This record gives sequence, structure tokens and C-alpha cells, in this order.
Amino acid sequence: MEAYLVAIGIIALIYVILSLGLTLQYGLTGLINFGHVGFFAIGAYTSALLAFQGVPLVLCFAAAAVLAGIAAWPIGLVSLRLRDDYFAIVTLGFSEVVRIVITSEKWLTSGVQGLPGVPRLYEELGGFTAQLAVFATILAVTLLGIWMIRRIAGSPFGRLIEAIRDNEEAVQALGKDPARFKIQVLVVGAAFAGIAGAFYAHYITYIVPDQFIPLVTFYVWMAIIMGGVGRVSGAVVGSAILMLFLEGSRFLRDVLPGVSEVDMASVRIGAVGFLLILFIMYRPQGLMGDYTKR
Amino acid sequence: MFYAQLLVNGIVQGLVIGLAALSITLVFGIARFPNAATGDFMTFGAFSALTAHQATGSILFGGLGAIVATGLVSLLAYWAVFRRLADRSVVALLVASIGIGFLLRAVLGVVFGHGQQVFQVPLTRPYVFNGIRVMPLDLQLAAVAALALALVFSLLYLTPIGRQMRAVADNRDLARVSGIRPGRVMVALWLVAGGVAGVAGMMLGIKTIVTPEFGWEMLLPAFTAAILGGIGSPVGAVAAGLILGVAQELSTPFVGFTYKIALAFIIMLAVLLLRPRGLFGQLEGAR
Repeated sequence: MEAYLVAIGIIALIYVILSLGLTLQYGLTGLINFGHVGFFAIGAYTSALLAFQGVPLVLCFAAAAVLAGIAAWPIGLVSLRLRDDYFAIVTLGFSEVVRIVITSEKWLTSGVQGLPGVPRLYEELGGFTAQLAVFATILAVTLLGIWMIRRIAGSPFGRLIEAIRDNEEAVQALGKDPARFKIQVLVVGAAFAGIAGAFYAHYITYIVPDQFIPLVTFYVWMAIIMGGVGRVSGAVVGSAILMLFLEGSRFLRDVLPGVSEVDMASVRIGAVGFLLILFIMYRPQGLMGDYTKR
Repeated sequence: MFYAQLLVNGIVQGLVIGLAALSITLVFGIARFPNAATGDFMTFGAFSALTAHQATGSILFGGLGAIVATGLVSLLAYWAVFRRLADRSVVALLVASIGIGFLLRAVLGVVFGHGQQVFQVPLTRPYVFNGIRVMPLDLQLAAVAALALALVFSLLYLTPIGRQMRAVADNRDLARVSGIRPGRVMVALWLVAGGVAGVAGMMLGIKTIVTPEFGWEMLLPAFTAAILGGIGSPVGAVAAGLILGVAQELSTPFVGFTYKIALAFIIMLAVLLLRPRGLFGQLEGAR
């Protein structure tokens, strides 16, 4: 039971890290990143592949963050010229292309067969102790991430990106170049996703392209929309609800007779869709959002 | 000769993309947001056509079923969701359209299961023109697509409601002060957008295998064609769809089957950067 709770905790924290990245990008800056899972995948595969080469895991994680950030750079350059809705389509396309590349380049990623046996963190500790150590590490990284986002939000940089979200023309009129800040935000947010991907790969120890479908992006969107857009507390609360929802739907399948795993997958997708619509229509500010504003 | 054959194969694929892009471009032009549920509208059309086809044994009735059922679903999505978000930001509409797509996919998955379904169409011998093989089925599909396009374009360019739709796409405020009622235009828009996506879905379903996810995978090529053709330009969407379909087929020997979709992405980026108004689009400020 403890092992199970810790396992859920680890996955939930991975989603918190993903949500923090998206909170920075969408919540604070207003970038509609529909391709978050692409950076998550880049992080996961980078770290796993390096670990297979015997690179120390700390360096693997750092490389995952850096490479995911670098991958965001060209997307950011393109985004300079694009309106919000086009940016959403481009990022969505980007994440699909990442998945196609991972599926096709078998020499590197072994394609749909995936990479089994990704080294665990703290393998030498063994068993439950190792799991606790993983949990402590990811908790520390998450807290560091939360601290970073809070610092960013409170800094002049943070006020500027929020101004970009609220009125880009005004920012331009004040002589600031919104594009530069958008790129920086995109790269940092992608690095968060990369770190999350590395934790995911080394915790699950088996990665295949099918784990990196756009649905994951919208899990994260659901988390931040439910929790409250643009708030760090919202990202955390939203991820917790998301985790309850994902695990709850698994239990439901065990309890309900005659419901197959594929049916449950459908129900899960449907519930995500339904919740997205409901929250967008009736509570766009999320559960933790500002209750004074509509 | 080999490439000529690929070109012919690309045309039917291109018509599918073109119809889907037509649906996207109409919604983008008039309701002003990229409808990410278009792919799932296609899936819905394919399953409706499959059901109608199994019941009647006729491709024509299958197509009619796809048009009517998908048009109604699309109208329902407008009435229940998009209508209420009309004065909100584009993000709200975009996220809501993703939600509707997921919801449709879930319903189809539960009702029809996740097995692969195929249209039972009789196998026929291809016609051979100068060594290029053309399947009679492809000709029929091309005819269906041509018919659907003829209907949509005559609706858009020959009827009062079509003129009103184009007026709203052109300048919403001006249309409104000219006494055009937005409600009726929107109803017409969503019926047409759904019906067109439904036909595209049926065609894709006949050419490939129907699964609850298969329409979603067409979304990227369809968006690319809509952007390449110029957002809001129906002729452009269809032309760009054909170009893209042929380009994808012609590129297959070089880049392989799986990179077809990546090609669409590259083309989309190139168009957005080099010529954001596309082939036929009007200048529309900053993208």
C-alpha cells in the first residue's frame, strides 16, 4: 500500500512539473502550447538513451532539460510571426512530428518496440528505499520548480510576460520586444517538460512512442484549467485532481464487470473532453482561480 | 510512369484532405477559430457511412448518411458549446473544440469498439490507361467528392445564405450592420462544415481502415492545406488539398511512408513563414 501511494505520488509530481512548464507558458505568458508532450518525449528519450551509454544519471537529466529547451528554440523563432491560434496548431504538429521521428528512427529509438530496461534512479538502494529516494528527489525538484516559477512571476520579467499575455501591442508600444520574451518562456517551459520526461523514463523504465500521444498534452491542459490558469497553486491542485481522475478510472475498471481496458480508455478520453468543455464554459478561472473575476 | 501512378493515387488522397481543409477554412473564416474537432467529425462521418452502408448496401446512401449525421453532430456542437463561447477568446474555442473531438472519439470508441472496420466494397479490376492503373472505386470516390464540392460551392456562390456566409467571413461587423443575421449564417456554416467533413471521413474510410482515431491523424494535413490555400478561401483549400495529397504520394519513395505527415508539417511551417496568406488568401494583418 505504501509502495502504491509513493508510486502515485511520483507520477503526480511528474504531472506537477509538466503543469509548471505550461503554467509559465500559457498561464503567465499566454502561449497556447498544444505540443507539451513533444518536449516531454524529447526529455524521456534523451535521458534514457544517454543512460544506456553509461552516462551518469545526473548528466542525463541535465541533458534532457537542455535538449528539450533547444528543441523549443526553433519553435519559438517561428512563433514570433504567428498569431495565438496558429501557434497552437504549429506546436500540436510539432509534437506529432516528434512522435513520428521517434517511431521511424529505429536505429536510435528502436521504434514502436520502445526502450525497455531504462536504468532506475538509486538502483543500488533497492526496493522500497529506492522508491522513497526517487520520491524525495522528484519532490525536491518540484519544489525547486515551484520556487522558480514564483520567483519568475514576481520579477520584472514576470510582470512583462503577464503584460504580453494581457496586451501584446501595449508591450510593443512600450519598446519591449515580446518575441524575445516569448522564446525565453517557451524554452524554459520546455526544459521543465524535459526534466519531467527524464523522471518518467527512469521511473517507468520502459518507454514507447505510444506514451507520448497528444492526449498527454491535454491531460496537462486539463490539470491547469481545472486548477486555475496562471497560478502555481492551480498547477499543483489540478495535477492532484488529474491523478485522482486517472487512478480512479483504473479502479473503476477493476470494480465494474465487463468493462475492458480499451473501453475505459475511451471513457477516460471522453471525460477529459467533457471536463475541458465544462471548465472552459462555466469556470474558466479554475478551482483555485480568482473568484472575483468571471 | 511510376510517378504518374503515384500522382493518380495522390489525387483521391488530395480530395480527402481538400474536403477536410474546406471544412476547416469555412469555420476559420466565419467562426474565427481553428476547429480541432474536424478530424473527429471525419471519424464520425466514416462510422455513420459505415452504418448506413451496412444497412442499405449502397455507397450513395452511405455518403448521404455521413453528410446528414455529421452535419447534425456539428450543428449540435455549435448549439451546445461554440455558440456560448462566441464572445470569448480564441483559446476557449480552441480548447472546447479539442474537448468535443475527445468526446466524439470516446463515444465512437464505446459504441463501435476499437477493432478495425472496413467498408465491404466489391473488388474490381482496374482500368488501364497507357499503363497507369485507375481503380473504378477511386473514380467513384472522385465523383462523390466532385459532387460534394459542386454542392458546397453552389451553396456558397449561388444562394442568398451562401452570399451571407461569405459576407460574414469577409467582414463580420459590416455584415451585421447590413442586416445579416449571424444566427442563420452560423447554422448553415456548421451544417456545411460537418457535412463536408463527413464526406471526407467516408472517403478516407473506404480507402483505408476505420478506427476511432483515424480522423484525428488527418488533422495536421488538413490544417496545412487550409493554411496553404489561404484561410477563408474555399477554392484555395481544395486546391491546396490536392497539391498536398499529390506531394505526399510523390514524396513517399524518398522519405518513406511514416514521414508523410511530417512533410505536411514542414509545408505548413514554410507557408506560415514565407507566405502567411497562402496561395489564395487575402491579406489579413498579422498572423
